Amino acid sequence: MANSVNISVEAPIENQIQEITYDGQEIYQAPLSMSENLARLAQKIDFTKSDDEFCNIKKEGESSLDIKSEDDKEPGYQSSLWPWDSVRNKLRNALTEVCVLADVLSIAKEKRYMVLDPIQADQVESRPMVQVYGRKKALSAAGAVLLNGVERLRASETMRMTRNMPDFHIDLLRLRQNWRLKKVSNTIVGDLSYRTAGSKFSQTGVFEVTKAPEEQIAQAMSMNATGPAPSALRVTVPPELQGVAFISVLCQKEQEDVVTATLSSSALNCPGTLPGEGAELHWQQKLEAAQNVLFCKELFARLAAEAVQLDASIPHMVVGNQIMATVLPGIQLLIGLCHNNGQNNNNPEGVKSEGSGNKSEHDHVLEHSLHQLLRAVHHSNTHHPFPHPASGPLGPSKRRSLAGPMASDRYELLEMSKEQSLLEQIIQQAQHFFMRRRSEYVLDTIAKEVKDPLIVSHWNALNSPTQSCVKINIMAYGYDAVCRTSLVVHVGEKTLKCICRDGKVRHLSYELQELRDLIYCQIYQHQMTAVQAVGRCMGWQLLASSSHLGSGPVEPLGNASSCLLASPNGDRMIAIRCEPSVGIQVFIAQSPRKDFFVSELVQDKKWENLGGAFKEVKLEKMEGKNFLNKMELLMACLSSPL
Amino acid sequence: MAANAPPMTATDSLSQAVKANIIHNQEYLLQGSVLDSAVEVLLHRLRGLCDNVDAGPETFDDQEVCFILRDPNQQALPSMLRVRKALDARDMPYQLRYIGQADGEKNRPTVLRSVLDIACSGMLFEFLNELGCRIEYEYSVKGYMFRKGRMKITVAKVFKIPQSSMAPEPISQSYLVELSVLAPTGQDAIGEDMRAFADQLRPLVQLDKIDYKRLSHMAVT
Repeated sequence: MANSVNISVEAPIENQIQEITYDGQEIYQAPLSMSENLARLAQKIDFTKSDDEFCNIKKEGESSLDIKSEDDKEPGYQSSLWPWDSVRNKLRNALTEVCVLADVLSIAKEKRYMVLDPIQADQVESRPMVQVYGRKKALSAAGAVLLNGVERLRASETMRMTRNMPDFHIDLLRLRQNWRLKKVSNTIVGDLSYRTAGSKFSQTGVFEVTKAPEEQIAQAMSMNATGPAPSALRVTVPPELQGVAFISVLCQKEQEDVVTATLSSSALNCPGTLPGEGAELHWQQKLEAAQNVLFCKELFARLAAEAVQLDASIPHMVVGNQIMATVLPGIQLLIGLCHNNGQNNNNPEGVKSEGSGNKSEHDHVLEHSLHQLLRAVHHSNTHHPFPHPASGPLGPSKRRSLAGPMASDRYELLEMSKEQSLLEQIIQQAQHFFMRRRSEYVLDTIAKEVKDPLIVSHWNALNSPTQSCVKINIMAYGYDAVCRTSLVVHVGEKTLKCICRDGKVRHLSYELQELRDLIYCQIYQHQMTAVQAVGRCMGWQLLASSSHLGSGPVEPLGNASSCLLASPNGDRMIAIRCEPSVGIQVFIAQSPRKDFFVSELVQDKKWENLGGAFKEVKLEKMEGKNFLNKMELLMACLSSPL
Repeated sequence: MAANAPPMTATDSLSQAVKANIIHNQEYLLQGSVLDSAVEVLLHRLRGLCDNVDAGPETFDDQEVCFILRDPNQQALPSMLRVRKALDARDMPYQLRYIGQADGEKNRPTVLRSVLDIACSGMLFEFLNELGCRIEYEYSVKGYMFRKGRMKITVAKVFKIPQSSMAPEPISQSYLVELSVLAPTGQDAIGEDMRAFADQLRPLVQLDKIDYKRLSHMAVT
């Protein structure tokens, strides 16, 4: 903070010093005025120069020096010359040259005094042999490089052929044709999951592809000389996907003890290992098995999650690798995941005896259904419907897009969003399977027991997993054209729907007895209508009939029915009473009565025409193939005048 | 349910839905065109690139009618409404579409405009007539539809509606290709995915932003 020093800042001197006088005064060369500056620049222009810039710069440098030297000289001689003089001279020379050129061209054009002739340029001496030699040399060099490469390839190929080893790259190509592969840094990995097909399972299915070591290949080839060559690839699947797995679906009667249910099921007995387990498997089989294991795991995980979440009347149980669901009262559905890792540690001793029996019960159809259901879920995950018209939003299904214009209420929208879970669907299928089996059993037993009218059942060839249809015809042998009773039974999941010919629709439950009772009632109704039809054929008149008779003891099953037939000439009557539990009773009466005796009260003989009492006919002693036949014979016998 | 709570009106629930960004009211769009002679190659490429190779390309056949609602006092700009019906799926509802002004931002890879799509029943024409809308023009579109994730790609030919029962006449010898995504506000990342997909189609068709303002200034014949 001492005394401040004055600093003066000056610009450097721009103008050159011309002269320094004796008293120290500097005389500056006056700066060039505008016109002088322009003159200086104009003198730098040289009209004889070419367009080459580089030459321009150099020549400019040279010529500026020349011009400056000339300039320095000239003021000595002719300082009064106009600075534009050189420019004017150069321009004048240029004009002269151009005029001369124009004159020459016009004279040459006239072709009278001057003609322009082309001059042949000197022929370049062609030396074809040199070219040929040059090309030959170049080609031989290229050929040498190619031959070198071919030699190397041929050597490796012959080596391979002599040793007869499988080719890694060909195998890799085959693998790539079937599976998706990716190269990640140094390794080749692949994906065997169903992710691109629409699966949303969290477990990945990544496998690694490596080169199989040569000793192993040689060993395998020496062991298995006649079979197919082992592959040069080795495929490593993750340990949790190794081995074989399948879903076992079993329908069985409800077990009292839950523990025995688990032990005796086939879930723990996993049959089926891959063939040739000890030796190295072909990669295709290995990968397919691993993919199947992943699929089964996804399926089982989904079913187990649904089993826990679903709210059924009898709750489903999930124990370890098994799901137990109640299909019908007394019937259980057991779904288990069998995964054989190849370690064979899954069979406790006590199971072996029952294992073989249980293996045959495993339901392949329901297992296939489960696979199809999961594949349908995958499919719907990827195949979303397209909007029509095309400007609509992607995503909503047809029902959803119609919900707005059709004014669906909240309830309908909620219903639309609900969908049936896999477990519910498979339970429905199992229920239907049982209902169908039961109905078949009932119909078959009735057909075996009842011989008199024949029971013929036709099952529809086309049916769905949850609905089947059977048409039952009841007819008598020989009288099928006369009378035939038919009914249709729709077998659903838990109920049956019977539609009779008269239009009545009856809904039956899953109890066998109901169907049995219904068929029996229909049989006896058939008998009654058939007898009336036979009577019509024979000319007998139907006097009365009643399908629900109120007289007699109360029937345990259905109602008694009866009919009254009169012969063509009116002297005989047949009364038939039909009861489903007891059977059929036939009574005949004739008029005039044979046992009429005149008594005090009834004196006139004419009262014998009123008709006698009914006497029962012993049907079992009568001749005739079946009831209708017997009735026909009876009617024939009674019709003839006696 | 609270017995004393006032019932929620439709406008309340609608405004809540808009605020919650669940309504897809923005459309990201890229358009291009391809000559008739080259459309087969483009369809094959799209079939390979897009989802669901096993199901063939989905065809569609639509008819679109444009209504214009003019302000009688000439104060507000006239608004345009488009009604589109599917000729190949008659039981599907009509789509009423309102398209807003395109966002003119230069840095965006795609055109972004606000769009409202509503499904309506068949009484739509009478309703719009009663509102005062008049038909401005109509055309029919026929072509193929593809999808890849959220993106929808249509390759279609535009036809003039014939007066009598003649065959529809195409207005050009080319197909219009459109790549569009309907999304709620604030999902700008989809624009980059669309640009990447458009680049995969690059040598066959060039999908780009169209400057609608320039088109509207061109003379309309």
